[in-house]
Amino acid sequence: MLHDTLNLVAGLDFSILPQQLVNGLLLGSVYALIALGYTMVYGVLRLINFAHGEVFMLGSYAALFTSWSLGFSPEALAGQDKPSSWINLVLMLVVSMVVCGLIGMAIEFLAYRPMRNQPRIASLITAIGVSLFIQYAGGLFLPQSPPPAISEQVNPYRNEKVTVTLAPPPQDLVVQAKDARAKADQMDKAYEAAKAKGDPTSLESMRQETQAAKNAASNLETQVASKSTGLTVPYGQLGMLLTTLVLMALLWFIVQKTKTGRAMRAVAHDFDSAALMGVNVGRIITITFVIGSALAGAGAMMYATVLRTPLTPFLGVTPGVKAFVAAVLGGIGNIPGAVLGGILMGIVETLVVWLDGVVPGLSGYKDAVAFVVLIAVLLFRPGGLLGSSKVEKV
Amino acid sequence: MRKTINIASFFALATSIVLGAYGCKDSGASGSTAGTTGTTGSNSTAGGETAGSGGTTGSGRKDPAKDGSDIGEPIKIGLVASQNGDLKPWGDDCVKGANMAVDEINAAGGINGKKVLLLTEDSNSDPVAGKNAASKLVTDGCVGILGEVASGITQQMANVAFDAGLPIVAVGATRTDISDIGSNFFRVCYTDDFQGPVMAKFAYDYLSLRNVAIMTDNKQPYSVGLSDSFRKAFEGYGGKIVDEQKYQSKETQFSSYISNMKSKSPDGVFLSGYFTEVGPIVSQMRAAGLNMPVLGGDGWDSAQLQTSGGQAIVGGFFCNHYNNEEKRPEVQKFLADWKAKYSGVPGTTMGALGYDAAKLLCDAIKRAMDKGGKKSKDISAALEDTSDFAGVSGKVTLKGMKGNPAKRALVVKVTANGTTFEKAYEPEELAK
Repeated sequence: MLHDTLNLVAGLDFSILPQQLVNGLLLGSVYALIALGYTMVYGVLRLINFAHGEVFMLGSYAALFTSWSLGFSPEALAGQDKPSSWINLVLMLVVSMVVCGLIGMAIEFLAYRPMRNQPRIASLITAIGVSLFIQYAGGLFLPQSPPPAISEQVNPYRNEKVTVTLAPPPQDLVVQAKDARAKADQMDKAYEAAKAKGDPTSLESMRQETQAAKNAASNLETQVASKSTGLTVPYGQLGMLLTTLVLMALLWFIVQKTKTGRAMRAVAHDFDSAALMGVNVGRIITITFVIGSALAGAGAMMYATVLRTPLTPFLGVTPGVKAFVAAVLGGIGNIPGAVLGGILMGIVETLVVWLDGVVPGLSGYKDAVAFVVLIAVLLFRPGGLLGSSKVEKV
Repeated sequence: MRKTINIASFFALATSIVLGAYGCKDSGASGSTAGTTGTTGSNSTAGGETAGSGGTTGSGRKDPAKDGSDIGEPIKIGLVASQNGDLKPWGDDCVKGANMAVDEINAAGGINGKKVLLLTEDSNSDPVAGKNAASKLVTDGCVGILGEVASGITQQMANVAFDAGLPIVAVGATRTDISDIGSNFFRVCYTDDFQGPVMAKFAYDYLSLRNVAIMTDNKQPYSVGLSDSFRKAFEGYGGKIVDEQKYQSKETQFSSYISNMKSKSPDGVFLSGYFTEVGPIVSQMRAAGLNMPVLGGDGWDSAQLQTSGGQAIVGGFFCNHYNNEEKRPEVQKFLADWKAKYSGVPGTTMGALGYDAAKLLCDAIKRAMDKGGKKSKDISAALEDTSDFAGVSGKVTLKGMKGNPAKRALVVKVTANGTTFEKAYEPEELAK
């Protein structure tokens, strides 16, 4: 038994563990951003807003349309290179957040407000209805076939990355790789020139040599990449993390330091008493929806731009479920809990994939493992990690 | 404590409902990513269930019980195509190709003096609608049916054709097991079993790769099957599969798989999934410092490949049926005719395959009539007898192949705004 365990541990590749933890953190930060919307709405209304994932989906489409109107549609680009700047990214982010904020407001006003004095189960079913309505109405009106994706060219930092080296690769290997790549590029140019000229006699042998040189170069580069223990984070993903942190800090400031935030906390604490004390409860609920949805919009824009997943009207389902689980894991209604839950989910998922190295097939269960963690946490802390039966909500 | 129960029951209800919604939309969404490779639709009705079939003949497959329609005048043939829905780009090209073929035949005097009439029905990219469309064509008195571009729809149509005793020539259905339905089923495209060996040979011989990693979409049978056949063939050539990472459709963040793969130092990566995930994977691979060649199957075949894969996917290779840039005279003639009739070039591979399917069926009708055949049954027999039929997409031989032609496959290279022809493999070159 002990022997088996030791064997398992020996099979793990610890040199990639730091990178995997960072991967998990990056993945989790998006979950956290979406989870905040669930948790805030639950905090003030005791309502699980199932349409939140759909708000996320609409946010990614808003980012797509913004990028198109900025001239980054496939038709406008037509395979050409087009320079972009960070202003485009900020514009897309702002448009996504504003659009999602408005949609959140509309959903609250049209669907949830009429249900406010009904039993809670009525609101819950309404939320599911809104979610399905947006998915299928989106299917009628949004471009989805083939699923569009935001062009990478809108992101001027797409080729840049931060590399933190914990254990450097052998220096001579780095030099070798560089030389090999230069040589391969040169041979490739010569080959393409010969091909354009149409000199068939030596073309095939030339192609083989070029391919060999390219393979040698990419092999050396892979060795450099795998022999160094370190972290590689593309700028885009780093930007996602930083934006998430800034937005979270902003949220904390609003909730803790402003008058509106105080009113939100009061509504969360006791709905009726807050109303009696002169808090405009309707307004506060609207603001909560707007803020929560705008955060989802920010997450959606980054998700669609940096990870560049093709968009469909069902895009929001998976991140929505994950973020919801993250919110419950952290203690629904609790803001730091949503952040903790999201990051924990991201890291657990990533580590399950890492463990796939010694337990083949495990990565297929990564969503299941995330749920197992949730169940385990709820067994011992029914209110979630940071929640309790008497939490101070929002 | 009450609050806890509330949360728990909320959670249980919520998850089940949300997950339920997720499950049911899955089948619908797969069509949009399926392209021509055919996971669209159900695979519940296997052909073997159809009752009342006669014995098996030399083809080794079950024969339909009925003899089918009479060859009348004009000779009616039917086409089911996805003129609406997810598969519209492929369906439209297929219709254009088939029409072009029939017009050519009629302009040359028809088949033995009889005109050919092509009846087209829309399947709306949906297996059930495709089945109804096929039934309508049977009632209309067609002697044979063409279509579809995806496997799920084709399977439904093939069952209808089997019951009616009509031959069916599939255009772009690559799933291997459809041909088991009966001795009336034929296709003009290669099957999924063939793509893996093609790409394995290309990787081993042409790119000189020896240590390849595989990335499989564990949720798509197409991807799992393709990965397996690639692995088998590549190991057969003496190469080594150093790693296989299994992701799931709709994932977006692949860095954990990529980190795992990186530690195994592969010199090439085979991605058997659809372009929706392949694009993001490859761009995230490049961002992580992995520059080795990437290859895949016809799940990559989409105009959206470059949008989802960006600059990173350029230079990747995948397997396809046909490419506009091929220099063979058949292709050049086809492109010139297409340009004269429709202007431009076919946007998908289905233009050429639709053309080939219609030409093949008419050729078989002629051969059947020459032998004195009068019924659909005779056309099936003539199709079974096809050898070295010269199609635009390559030679088609169906004799003794159980409906699955041994056909040439192309490997195409991804460019910034399309694909370019890289290498063709004839079936003989893949003897193993």
